[in-house]
Amino acid sequence: MTAPPTSAGPGAPRHYDDLLTQVLSSALDQDYLAASRRADSRPRTSARTPTFVVVVALFGILIGVSALQTVRDRPAQEAQRASLVDEIHRRQAHLNGLHQLLTSLQADVTREQADVAASLAEGTKLAARLTTLGVAAGTVPVTGPGVDVTVDNAANSGEDPAGVIRDSDLQLLVDGLWQSGAEAVAVNGQRLTSLSSIRYAGRAITVNYQSLTPPYVIAAIGDPDTLPAALMGTAAGSAWQSLKSNFGIRFDVETAAKLSLPAAPHDHLIYARERGSN
Amino acid sequence: MIAVVGLLIGVLAGIFLEPSVPDALQPYLPIAVVAALDAVFGGLRAYLDGIFDDKVFVVSFVSNVLIAGLIVYLGDQLGVGGQLSTGVIVVLGIRIFSNVAAIRRHVFHA
Repeated sequence: MTAPPTSAGPGAPRHYDDLLTQVLSSALDQDYLAASRRADSRPRTSARTPTFVVVVALFGILIGVSALQTVRDRPAQEAQRASLVDEIHRRQAHLNGLHQLLTSLQADVTREQADVAASLAEGTKLAARLTTLGVAAGTVPVTGPGVDVTVDNAANSGEDPAGVIRDSDLQLLVDGLWQSGAEAVAVNGQRLTSLSSIRYAGRAITVNYQSLTPPYVIAAIGDPDTLPAALMGTAAGSAWQSLKSNFGIRFDVETAAKLSLPAAPHDHLIYARERGSN
Repeated sequence: MIAVVGLLIGVLAGIFLEPSVPDALQPYLPIAVVAALDAVFGGLRAYLDGIFDDKVFVVSFVSNVLIAGLIVYLGDQLGVGGQLSTGVIVVLGIRIFSNVAAIRRHVFHA
């Protein structure tokens, strides 16, 4: 493939080749042609100038050095590559380990969630049971229909000690209410529990260690239709009827559609334990 | 003959003297080799064509190496060193191929 001239001659239209053709056609330095044309006039010398030898030697050095460097760099590059491959394997193993950890942790989470759900259900059940028990034990406030029994000392109680309500009278009345089917009882807002006492302290009647002043209002939750009649049928009812008629002590029984009883002030036992637990 | 002797001396000197290439120039060594190869094959072809000239060879060798290195250096500074090296290698490679094809025709008459 000889290099064709890019222009046919002076004055002729210039002919443009595409880039690839130009690269191919100018593969031989045009200077060689120009120099040979110039040199045609004088005789060619076959002797090589020292510069030529130096350049050829330079070429040799270039070849030698780059060959040497390629050979010398290879172990380092391979070591680098090997270390990178090792690194990749190590990280992959690490990643696999993390994946396994993730899987096991996810299983843990699922199990814990099931546990939590189970304990929640159990907790709800326990709370419901606690409320049921608390209503009976007096540790939770309750509301419902029932009767209000209002009692007071007789008007002349200042002169006649017999007109004063005694703790035993109140105890009798409360017993009568329980007997008549009351489910929760409070005296002047003091809820009665299995730990409550009604007794004299000094000149006042105390319930749950709180001194009360007359009139005493005993609120009892129960069937408002049957409770008053049942109370009258008990010994307490007849005793209070006689107190009312003989000493002028006030004794009024009224049904109430809705009573609200507070919780008892203390709700924990120190010594008593459920049997079977320690 | 003298060219072959010079080449051998150069290769041996390069291998045994181990001239240290400055780190800054090391990336340009492969490009310089390709550019030098282009000049050498061009010279060989000119020699076989009977139009070889010392001066043209020396100038083309030195300028080839310098320009190739310069282009790649410029590309490195512009951030397209890899692409420019590829371009230089492609152009020089095509030239080398066509020169070697011409040399082959001279040698084997085919």
